[in-house]
Amino acid sequence: MRAVIFCAALAALGMATPLAAAEVSIPVLVPITGFLSLEGTSQRNGAMLAIRNAPAGLNVRADVADTGTAPDVAVNALERALGRDAPTAIVASMLGTQVLAMLPIALEHKVPLLTVSGTASVTEKGNPYVFRFFPGDAITKVAHVRYAAEILKAKRLALIAQTTEYGQSGRAAIEAIAAKLGLEIVYEESVDVQLRDLSPVLGKVRAAKPDVLLLHLHAGPTALAIRQAAAMNLDIPIVAGSALHQPTTAALLEPAELRGVCAETNASPVSGGSPEMERFLQQYREQFKSEPDGYALGQYDGVMMALQAAAQGAATPAALTAALSSGTYRGLAMTYKSDGKGNMAHSAIIVCYDGRSRVPTVAKRYDDIDGVLAR
Amino acid sequence: MLQVLANGLALAAAYALVALGFVLVANAANAVNFAQGDLVMAGGFVAVALSRLWPVPGIVLLPAVLAVMAVLGLALSAIAYFPLRGRPATAIFVSTIAVGLMLENGANAIFGAEPQAGPPLLPGAAIALGPVSLSRQSIAVIVTAAVLILALEFLFARLRFGWRLRATAQDREMAASIGIDVTWMIAFSFALGAALGGAAGLLLANSFFVTPTDGINYMLKAYIAVVIGGWGSIRGAVAGALLIALFEVVYPSLPLLVPALPVSWLFTETTATIILYGVVLAVLLLRPRGLFGEAVLRRA
Amino acid sequence: MRIDPSRGLRAPLAVAAIGLALWPSVFSSAYDLRLFTLAGVYVLLVLGYQFIFGHVGALSLTQGAFFGLGAYASAILAVRGGWSFSETFVLSIAIAVALAALIAIPVLGLESHYFALATLGIAQVLLLVCREWAPLTGGVNGISGVPGIVLFGRAVPGGSPSLILVWSLVVIGAAVAWRIQRGLYGLAFHVVRSAPAAAGTIGLDSGRMRLAAFLLSAAYAGAAGALFVRVNGIVSPDVLEFPVMVTCLAMTVIGGATRVAGAFAGAFLLVYLPEWFRPLDKYYLIAYGAGLLVMIVAAPDGLLGAAARLRQRLMPETDVAPEPERLPRPEVPVTAPLIFRDVVKSFGGVKALQGVSFEVRRGEIVGLIGPNGSGKTTLINIATGLETCDGGAVLYGNQVLTGRAPFAIARLGIARTFQNICLAGELSALDNVAVARSLDPGVDIETARAQAMHLLETLGAANFAMSQVRALPHGVQRRIELARALAVQPQFVLLDEPAAGLSEREQADLAGQIKTLRTRGLAVLLIEHNMPFLAGLADRLICLHEGRVIGQGSPDEVRRNPRVIAAYLGEPQRVPA
Repeated sequence: MRAVIFCAALAALGMATPLAAAEVSIPVLVPITGFLSLEGTSQRNGAMLAIRNAPAGLNVRADVADTGTAPDVAVNALERALGRDAPTAIVASMLGTQVLAMLPIALEHKVPLLTVSGTASVTEKGNPYVFRFFPGDAITKVAHVRYAAEILKAKRLALIAQTTEYGQSGRAAIEAIAAKLGLEIVYEESVDVQLRDLSPVLGKVRAAKPDVLLLHLHAGPTALAIRQAAAMNLDIPIVAGSALHQPTTAALLEPAELRGVCAETNASPVSGGSPEMERFLQQYREQFKSEPDGYALGQYDGVMMALQAAAQGAATPAALTAALSSGTYRGLAMTYKSDGKGNMAHSAIIVCYDGRSRVPTVAKRYDDIDGVLAR
Repeated sequence: MLQVLANGLALAAAYALVALGFVLVANAANAVNFAQGDLVMAGGFVAVALSRLWPVPGIVLLPAVLAVMAVLGLALSAIAYFPLRGRPATAIFVSTIAVGLMLENGANAIFGAEPQAGPPLLPGAAIALGPVSLSRQSIAVIVTAAVLILALEFLFARLRFGWRLRATAQDREMAASIGIDVTWMIAFSFALGAALGGAAGLLLANSFFVTPTDGINYMLKAYIAVVIGGWGSIRGAVAGALLIALFEVVYPSLPLLVPALPVSWLFTETTATIILYGVVLAVLLLRPRGLFGEAVLRRA
Repeated sequence: MRIDPSRGLRAPLAVAAIGLALWPSVFSSAYDLRLFTLAGVYVLLVLGYQFIFGHVGALSLTQGAFFGLGAYASAILAVRGGWSFSETFVLSIAIAVALAALIAIPVLGLESHYFALATLGIAQVLLLVCREWAPLTGGVNGISGVPGIVLFGRAVPGGSPSLILVWSLVVIGAAVAWRIQRGLYGLAFHVVRSAPAAAGTIGLDSGRMRLAAFLLSAAYAGAAGALFVRVNGIVSPDVLEFPVMVTCLAMTVIGGATRVAGAFAGAFLLVYLPEWFRPLDKYYLIAYGAGLLVMIVAAPDGLLGAAARLRQRLMPETDVAPEPERLPRPEVPVTAPLIFRDVVKSFGGVKALQGVSFEVRRGEIVGLIGPNGSGKTTLINIATGLETCDGGAVLYGNQVLTGRAPFAIARLGIARTFQNICLAGELSALDNVAVARSLDPGVDIETARAQAMHLLETLGAANFAMSQVRALPHGVQRRIELARALAVQPQFVLLDEPAAGLSEREQADLAGQIKTLRTRGLAVLLIEHNMPFLAGLADRLICLHEGRVIGQGSPDEVRRNPRVIAAYLGEPQRVPA
């Protein structure tokens, strides 16, 4: 598989000759404690697997450091890494406020950040050193809303979002897209991550009589909402955010509770689909004794693109930044290319559960979404 | 909607157990146990771990969870309370905060960060009660918590041992002077407090899952319940837990219960939380020692 | 034990300060400079928290909210309004103080955990408001792109320059805090915290001191928040979340809640500790928790407290008592009597006082006797403002005392002692007395101590002047209480069982001292059960029973009064020894 990717990358980058062994350092600064540590651990695993599969002749150092959940801790970790590792690139937390805090420092030190943050504003600061290998909210939410409108034929939407920055960034995108598509949002509420009983919110959703319920919640609350919806026979089609595609989220629910529920994501590694994906899946399971999710795959692809570029000679931060800005890379989840602002991913998929298994199937693929929300 | 009330009561019952565990330690040791929320989380994970070894309904696991958590409570008192006994009370804030941090990150290291579901208390899904169907889990949670609270009442009201515990809570010096082994009583209070917290963890872990970061939320809820009810008061803690659950579940459902009310921002979860704190402040202004006054009198 | 909290620690502290100053030149990577700068920000936050939490002893849970508010105010003004650093810095402090003043009105009077919960509630509401009010606060994303510090039109770049700026402010903040704490005002905080009932009776307005401490803590937090946001360039609701408050609390307790140097130790350790443990990957926070636990168990009253004790053990050092100095003669003594007129008081259903009337005149020693629960202490509590009466009044000449605050009554010249001794146990005997001199505006701490020494000497407690009160025998503590009451320079002294627990010799000494007071023109009202002691001392006795006066007159008259015998003394042969 390494060979396959390698060749693909060679073709994509338009490079012909591998250069001599190069040293690169890619510190992994992600939340491995706190409320985002599930996603942060996926990021880390994806990055570490990519580094393990690094192209021959590349000598990669990768220290992992926790960023917790506060911006200042992320900046501490970044300054520390900059001081001791002379990094070629940095795997940066998927938490938007943390990336926003890291951006000016990356700019100052001219080091590219590789992240899978979905927060829209991350790539809207005109900073040339951020590369996002996960479709941002401007892209996934297009798939999210279009699926509800085009496939489920919804005119009236309900939306439950989280009060975190993840939730609010997605909420804003959904509102904009729904307006653009002429859909009505008949009920909308934002809830705290720690809220235990979602049935009052779901009751109000039911009273508003929407055609489809959109969820944009973190993993635990997504599972809670789906379970409580099933328990009260809500009987409204649900399209959830990317948290649901994480195998650990689906594991919380009975297959029957998941029947007919769909979710947006960049990719669903556990659903397989290609020999390369199966190989990734097997390696990941062996290495980390857990199931990979789309964040792990996105981070894997991102680090792999950087490593391929480095193997082709772009082993300095400046060269790597240039290569990431201009190159195209066919990764496992999709083909990545910068839109000029650092958005590398432009595809999203919708996966659905059939009620018999916790492994979803890909229901619809949306490629080349421009991610322009304004009307 | 009966189900809303049942959900609210179930949540209140679980919060009441957390708060009671907190009060027991507060009274016996005169210590604020900031690790109480993390003990709830730990109870949830203990239940998850036990149910993996032994897949039976939660009600069967309950005694085992209580036992494991009691041991954890004793360990907590041994490392975070007894070395600091007689030292400034603020030192125990920090020692229990430290233990809470270790519990949270220990759970993260052992079980991972993903939410996990505990075992259901009883097998089966819903019971029909006339026209409405009630979640079996909610009812089981209410009943289990009520049994635990009543057992506690019985312990305090009827048993000699409970009487000694109460005497210790009211006046440690006096208790020691009439031959009560105060050290053992305090250790037992920690064990009982942790066991109650752990039981709440088991009750909550099925419906609402458990993640390592849950502790602080339960800690805040227990603290609000205990203080608003009146520091040290058992009845007060239960009333405080009811008040919190009321605002968490019933208030946001008001537009559904009373169709005349509009579905608007007035009844969102966020508004409910703000109003809860508003009510808390109002109660404190009107009753500066909580709803039920203080159980343990201050000595001048 | 120690007069000055840093006394005996001066040399080690100086070494530590030099070490601290050299630290950034040794560890000078951008990362090290950043951590050092952040530590400075937290030092300011903790210095502020020491006022309300350490000195007043109130568990405020809004310190994190003041910090966050300062950060938000600076960010909003700088990003949306383009205000300069110096303007936003001042405004951040002003806004935090304004919020503190606003919430002080309802919550500052609450006690212990009720105060804590109220402040917690306010902090949580502020968090929700910042999350929800997106147009102003940027919602959950917060506000990014906050410009760095610009001073006098020139940008202060990150690294050393902003480190120096932040630490200059820290040094100023520490100096101010130290100035406030080292004088009589600092001693007064000890009394407000550890002997709150006594504070008012020596004329300290503890309400105003609590307010001052609360506002000061908010000011420091606002300043810290303003710097924090400039150092990070971003503010998000995380700054308002509970963990920030918990960190601040832990820093304060770990360092030492009442020592300026403790703020440095606590903030420094808790900023660096997680960074040192970082290589332990996902286990590092477990190690951090264990580190906290070890530190607090090893040093329950803070690292600085432990350092002071260690120093005392290694190189014991007894403090030299100051030279005694007479108190200035008070102005011509007032001749007005203290009048109890129909005083009525009940607790719940129990009628403690049912219309008590009598007078105490200048130059008179009056004994108040009666069985337990007859209302004696309640009467003194009412006279000194610690309790209010339901009916009747206590007058001083023609001024009504009832309804006045304890400190106002003390300032009129009415002082008291307590049945359950009420001293600040961690202070020296000398300082417990000296603090009661703070009413006299011309007295600084040195003079106050010298005068306190004089009072202790006249009461025969000079040998104990430099000892920590907590460790002293009961009889000595009673004398210290009396010395403290006299330090107020009162016209009236109300003594609640002054002879309890004293040996016969001590009783004789005490009687002599009380008689001296009479010759100086003071009036003394004392509660006693010890009849032989009273017999030789009191000019008049008043006997209370079930809240009524059942007999008064000379000691002999009262002793023969049949109602007094029936209710209190019993048969003559059973007179208590």
